[in-house]
Amino acid sequence: MPTPPRFRILPKLLMMSSDREPQTTKVFFREAIARALREEMRRDETIIVLGQDVGAFGGSYKEFMGLHKEFGKMRVWNTPVAEAAMIGLGVGAAASGMRPIVSITYMDFLMLGLDPLVNYAAKARYKTGGQLRVPLIVKVTAGAKGQGVAHSQCLESWLMAVPGLKVVAPSTPADAYGLLKSALQEDGPIVYIDHKRLFQTPGHVPAEEYVTPLGQACVRRTGTDLTIVTHSYMTSVALDAADRLAKHGISCEIIDLRTLMPLDMPTICASVVRTRALLTVEEGQATCGVGAEVAFRVREAVGSVLVGRLGALPAPVSSNPILETACIPDAKRVISATRQLLAV
Amino acid sequence: MFSTTHERGMIYVLAVPGPIEDVEEVRVLEWHGTAGQQYKPGDLIVELETHKAVVEVRAGQAGILRRILCEASVWEKAGGLLAVLSDTPDEAMPASWDGLRQCEVAFEIT
Repeated sequence: MPTPPRFRILPKLLMMSSDREPQTTKVFFREAIARALREEMRRDETIIVLGQDVGAFGGSYKEFMGLHKEFGKMRVWNTPVAEAAMIGLGVGAAASGMRPIVSITYMDFLMLGLDPLVNYAAKARYKTGGQLRVPLIVKVTAGAKGQGVAHSQCLESWLMAVPGLKVVAPSTPADAYGLLKSALQEDGPIVYIDHKRLFQTPGHVPAEEYVTPLGQACVRRTGTDLTIVTHSYMTSVALDAADRLAKHGISCEIIDLRTLMPLDMPTICASVVRTRALLTVEEGQATCGVGAEVAFRVREAVGSVLVGRLGALPAPVSSNPILETACIPDAKRVISATRQLLAV
Repeated sequence: MFSTTHERGMIYVLAVPGPIEDVEEVRVLEWHGTAGQQYKPGDLIVELETHKAVVEVRAGQAGILRRILCEASVWEKAGGLLAVLSDTPDEAMPASWDGLRQCEVAFEIT
């Protein structure tokens, strides 16, 4: 393998926000991921894919389909069910000049690989005075979809608390593509979080190559009474709630974070300064959650505004569909949290 | 049951079969035949792509493909119409597909 340049020169890509729509193609969520990888793997032969069933099978959600055929087994590796080893291998490969993406199907099993990710990947640059960089992507799938206590969790807020890690969580195929393109050009470790319920919804993706820059949230809906800050699958839940609230004269602005670390506080604060009310919505636990961090930073930056947060109930996510539904936020709970916050 | 007992001379619509768990929309991957193609029960008519699989749609009754409504690479919602078939090649095509009987199909998810 050739030695990669120490500092990568970004290819001339159109920097754009994916909510603008030039010429687009409708694709499955999985295809947006595969396209980003295919384009970048053609450009950069240090990119390799590691994971369970990522080879000829094409990935648990078929999001790696076609890559094994095009790039072969030296660049698309099936691994055993051994997350610590997979991420450890990824960290070492990244530190020695490769650019691995390690696929961990269930975010719950990221726990097994936290030692190499947190203690090595996230700290390597600091610890070596900038001599070692670890351009590693760990791709995980979060969220509840009938699979029970250890296959349903959203643990993104844990990762936000690790200096040296970046965390992204797309909610649309366009951002799944654009954020992965950005992540594949970063010099440090990134956790890329998709969601089981996002795979079934296709979406429009610009036909031209582009990147969705890290650290830029997206205003999915404009409104005047309340700012709802959310991410990943909960974006569609919040949008659904906002549609219903609009019929009762309550106008919600919806911000999809897209990148959880670093947080795009300017976009969030600009909205809350206007609405004077913030509701955070996440599928993970509210305690020490994404919303807790966002809300504190908003209060620090803009002073006293109404703040509410909504997350899963403090209970494991059951595989029983009734208990699963009861545990995680839905549009109905977003609506009642909004009404409670605004006292309307 | 239609393959043995239905009346002659009918027109049918071929819809996206289901329900298939989690499938909201499919994309037509490939038609196995063009207008005029005759199918007997079990013949592969069309392959559809879902978010994670390919659905093979096979004839559940004999019929002739009259018109494709969704060409390859076109998207259609679950339950949406893909094609019009008939028993014989010369039945007059109606002005609207509303109220037409659904073509019997068997489908397999691979």
